[in-house]
Amino acid sequence: MNLLSGLLEMELLRIWMKLSPDFRERLGLLDSTLILDVPLGVISRIEKMGGATSRGENSYGLDITCKDMRNLRFALKQEGHSRRDMFETLMRYAFPLTHSLPIFAFANEEKFNVDGWMVYNPVEEYRRQGLPNHHWRITFINKFYELCDTYPPLLVVPYRASDEDLRRVAAFRSRNRIPVLSWIHPENKTVIMRCSQPLVGMSGKRNKDDEKYLDVIRETNRQISKLTIYDARPSVNAVANKATGGGYESEDAYPNAELFFLDIHNIHVMRESLKKVKDIVYPNVEESHWLSSLESTHWLEHIKLVLTGAIQVADRVSSGKSSVLVHCSDGWDRTAQLTSLAMLMLDSYYRSIEGFEILVQKEWISFGHKFASRIGHGDKNHADADRSPIFLQFIDCVWQMSKQFPTAFEFNERFLMTILDHLYSCRFGTFLYNCESVREKQNVTERTVSLWSLINSNKDNFKNPFYTKEINRVLYPVASMRHLELWVNYYIRWNPRIKQQQPNPVEQRYMELLALRDEYIKRLEELQLANSAKLTEPSSSPASPSQMVPHVQTHF
Amino acid sequence: MFSLKPPRPTFRSYLLPPAQTDDQINFEPKIKKLEPVLLPGEIVVNEVSFVRKCIATDTSQYDLWGKLICSNFRISFITDDPMPLQKFHFRNLLLGEHDVPLTCIEQIVTVNDHKRKQKVLGPNQKLKFNPTELIIYCKDFRIVRFRFDESGPESAKKVCLAIAHYSQPTDLQLLFAFEYVGKKYHNTANGINGLPSGGGGGGSSSAVGGGQGPQTPLFETYSDWDREIKRTGASGWRVCSINEGYMISTCLPEYFVVPSSLADQDLKNFSHSFVGRRMPLWCWSHANGSALVRMALIKDTLQQRKIDQRICNAVTKSHPQRSDVYKSDLDKTLPNIQDIQAAFVKLKQLCINEPFEETEDKWLSSLENTRWLEYIRTFLKHSAELVYVLESRRLSVVLQEEEGRDLSCVIASLVQVMADPYFRTITGFQSLIQKEWVMAGYQFLDRCNHLKRSEKESPLFLLFLDATWQLLEQYPAAFEFSETYLAVLYDSTRISLFGTFLFNSPHQRVKQSTEFAISKNIQLGDEKGLKFPSAWDWSLQFTAKDRTLFHNPMYIGKSTPCVQSHSVKSFKRTKKSYSSTLRGMPVPFKNGIISDQQLLPRRNSLILKIRPKPPQPAKNQNSGMEEYFQEWFSKPVDLHGILLPHLSATHIKLWKLCYFRWVPEAQINLGGFITAFHKLSLLADEVDMLSRTLRQPRASPGGPCSAERDQSRMYFQASGPHPHSTSGTPEFLSSSFPFSPVGNLCLAHS
Repeated sequence: MNLLSGLLEMELLRIWMKLSPDFRERLGLLDSTLILDVPLGVISRIEKMGGATSRGENSYGLDITCKDMRNLRFALKQEGHSRRDMFETLMRYAFPLTHSLPIFAFANEEKFNVDGWMVYNPVEEYRRQGLPNHHWRITFINKFYELCDTYPPLLVVPYRASDEDLRRVAAFRSRNRIPVLSWIHPENKTVIMRCSQPLVGMSGKRNKDDEKYLDVIRETNRQISKLTIYDARPSVNAVANKATGGGYESEDAYPNAELFFLDIHNIHVMRESLKKVKDIVYPNVEESHWLSSLESTHWLEHIKLVLTGAIQVADRVSSGKSSVLVHCSDGWDRTAQLTSLAMLMLDSYYRSIEGFEILVQKEWISFGHKFASRIGHGDKNHADADRSPIFLQFIDCVWQMSKQFPTAFEFNERFLMTILDHLYSCRFGTFLYNCESVREKQNVTERTVSLWSLINSNKDNFKNPFYTKEINRVLYPVASMRHLELWVNYYIRWNPRIKQQQPNPVEQRYMELLALRDEYIKRLEELQLANSAKLTEPSSSPASPSQMVPHVQTHF
Repeated sequence: MFSLKPPRPTFRSYLLPPAQTDDQINFEPKIKKLEPVLLPGEIVVNEVSFVRKCIATDTSQYDLWGKLICSNFRISFITDDPMPLQKFHFRNLLLGEHDVPLTCIEQIVTVNDHKRKQKVLGPNQKLKFNPTELIIYCKDFRIVRFRFDESGPESAKKVCLAIAHYSQPTDLQLLFAFEYVGKKYHNTANGINGLPSGGGGGGSSSAVGGGQGPQTPLFETYSDWDREIKRTGASGWRVCSINEGYMISTCLPEYFVVPSSLADQDLKNFSHSFVGRRMPLWCWSHANGSALVRMALIKDTLQQRKIDQRICNAVTKSHPQRSDVYKSDLDKTLPNIQDIQAAFVKLKQLCINEPFEETEDKWLSSLENTRWLEYIRTFLKHSAELVYVLESRRLSVVLQEEEGRDLSCVIASLVQVMADPYFRTITGFQSLIQKEWVMAGYQFLDRCNHLKRSEKESPLFLLFLDATWQLLEQYPAAFEFSETYLAVLYDSTRISLFGTFLFNSPHQRVKQSTEFAISKNIQLGDEKGLKFPSAWDWSLQFTAKDRTLFHNPMYIGKSTPCVQSHSVKSFKRTKKSYSSTLRGMPVPFKNGIISDQQLLPRRNSLILKIRPKPPQPAKNQNSGMEEYFQEWFSKPVDLHGILLPHLSATHIKLWKLCYFRWVPEAQINLGGFITAFHKLSLLADEVDMLSRTLRQPRASPGGPCSAERDQSRMYFQASGPHPHSTSGTPEFLSSSFPFSPVGNLCLAHS
């Protein structure tokens, strides 16, 4: 580990560390005195290390565990009570919720020339998809979050299902998360629906309304005989869920549906897997058995399963074989991963910067992915079992896709990394709270700044130069271990030894060529301008030497 | 059945309109179309009709019907059916779409479904059943499968036996190249045909052109070596001719470079003490005068110390600072050739033999267990360390290896690729292979296993190409060539036509081909052996258009303008940009000493001058090296200077294009790096075009004329008559491009 000495500063948002001048010189850092810049929101855990009697250099101080794959250790002088003060201040501001303080986003007064809160307008997004149409209607039944408190106010449901039907279906779905439309295919009109598990329970309860509702969904495409249900869980887990009142759609109750399990594990498995990834990359990369160590984290295996599931969903819908209903247990983790990834594969609009923001805003934020619980914003309880890197895993899947299709996405790697950084930073309101109803209560859109304001006012920084806009192209990534890679630039970015070339040399070369092209075009235009100027006054200046020669000869 | 009629130029001749032949209106009957197009000297050994070539594992609906032919060069499948699902044409001119050269065949398996029998066919074996199926496992990871359900059982059996026999010859002279060259010579004598364009052979021609660009020095002549000495600015080294006629050693080239202080007589005396009489050979010199030298072990234990001392003293004397010699014992520091072969066999098994899905779970650990990537890393690491010794410690390096013709080839080449930007050009890279592999006596015949004596097989050449690919992957703008070029180069070692990759040593070519010439009544005149085609004559294999895929659109040539320099002056210098005609040419000399001014472009690029280091006192080598690497990596990369590889386990990757290109399941349709490559090519082409327009005396707004278009070095062009000229991603692109797994892989059904 690198040891640096300097002055530590803290403000409401972040810890800064400024180096003492002699260190600055030694590192050759002439302009930047800043060596460390950690948003307080990224802190997961703060511990004191060593005691008043500790001997040895750097054995006394603070240990800070971060949510973004790094640990920080500050060695302090033992004199005075500097550590106690620092510890308490840090605890207070890093975990404001625990101390009944407001999260930093509410104090942030940054101004941007674009308002990111305007990016997502559900009515507009559904209109883009061609909705409502004569099979699908927009309902405001959830306007006051009465049907389902974790769903958005605006939902798209089958035209033939009345609001009364919806209420009865809600009674049979976990946390009232009824099947609603996420995406409709512009041509074959098959749809992706999302919901939570049915409340089948040990006794194998049935619900006529739910059964009818699913059949109504199927019937929006007359030529299709089956509705495909993808249960994201391993079948064992789905069965086990019956014990707590949940379960899955049985063949008897839903004869017009076919159900497949996608074997994606739950939030706890994912959390442990990421922990193992951290173990092999931080503080040192496990060099000697890198690949088998990576394999033993199972991280890429989970990525593979998520992608494989999304591919199946996308394939069903794009081939027009059937409409698809996706759920897991509550329909806010794995379900969000599957629907949003499938939509990313199917709809090129979501591969643009703004389209992706809408996708995140819609499938994740508005449909109640529990960001507050999964990330633990401002909460000191680092061991909370609700925490899990589900959204990170989704972004990782997107990164894997962008690696396989370097020209298909308008955004670059920096865009994805920025999203992840501010997933933790608490600088923006975008990822705060678990669902729309709470956000509305907290007035998030009025009291905080949106992350998309930052991004959309600096769009050029986040653009992929290779982007080729293509309409209606379905992307099928190859979900094979042969192609999946660990996202080194993200997971190992704190390791100075694994220095990746930044910016990416291929990208850099492309930008250079672009600049060269522009310069040539400019020069060509100048040349043409000069030529045409000569043409207009042929008598005063000779156009070219070759024309001069015969002219001179006539004089002889 | 012999078919000795003159070969037709290409399959395309069928499509020619019958305009000039109006006197004979009869179109060729359909059955005639199934005739192979043979190369000179190629004869059909056996054939069978009504064969089905399997295309997919799970269905027979794409299967193709045609004729399976075994010639003395290849197995060929001739069909009228178009290849399904393939929408582009990148084809080897020597081979049909479905052909496999005999030297590319690894294993032949015959199956009889009904009797549930299966047999691996060796040469001269009997087959007790009539095969219903033939599976060919290729050395390049392809698997080809044929079914004989509708063909004559006896002819099917005969073809299988013929393939088994002809693909596993016991004698070098049975390899097709001999027949081909022999035929060419006969034709010359009769005034029918011209000679192959030299190379891989005769002493008279010292270089081979690929139809365009500078010629690749072959290092068969005195002058090629002399030029290389001058190009590197080495002093204290001379070309030595004592091995003319291979009088001293049969595994050394006729000319090589030695310390000036060693007289011919000394060398002759010492030579007996070296394994294979392989005395020290100069490879290359750093601009600071440190030399890279390779040599075999001294077997004479009594004389060992004395000779070793003499050699070291001579190398020291040749160093401008009289620095010490740094010896690197490769046998002790690197895996041996059997280990490398074992790793490669495991890698191949992992990539092809197992069902795709079953290898997924343990893919990463299985890949690690092959140790292939570990070995790549070891070779890169060791080479980088030697670069440090040459550049920073300014010591000459002597590579020691028992015979000095295996591991030394890899290390010597990698050091030079890292240290000298010339070897990152196409011509430079080819000259490097000539210098450190072909001429230095790398045993291509044995290591590629052209004659099926598997115990000597080892993929060192592939290891070198793979390691080069790692550098290309890490520094994509530093190389003139693309990864397609490297893959195609690897494939060329499996085509037994090029003298380049056929022999164990230059002497073997001369000896064997002279014997062959005598037996065939070919008059050699004063030529030393037959002239085989050179692999560097790429026009033999690919059209000019296809060859443009070898060019890396990211490459920043030395005279290519950079964005930072906005002056008109720098622009004028761009006349030579991209053409690369001047690269690889020797700089002008004055009495063999290059003046400072002439040296500027090369020397300037070396880091040495940019950041002079205080002379290093005797320091712990490891800490010095660490420091050197750290410092190098902390600075921006100079693409025309030293390149050092990132060596962390996360940086060494599997070369997917090479190893996955025949695996349909691993193919990313409409994706892969090639899609970015495509965009880059379009832009690079546009920039080229603009630069050409600007260079014209009077720039016309209409852009360059059509003749100019042909100058494009890009496969994908910004605009023009080509079908894939739109800015969207062409639909035929995939991660396997320009190769296609369609029809090439058919795993045996279980």
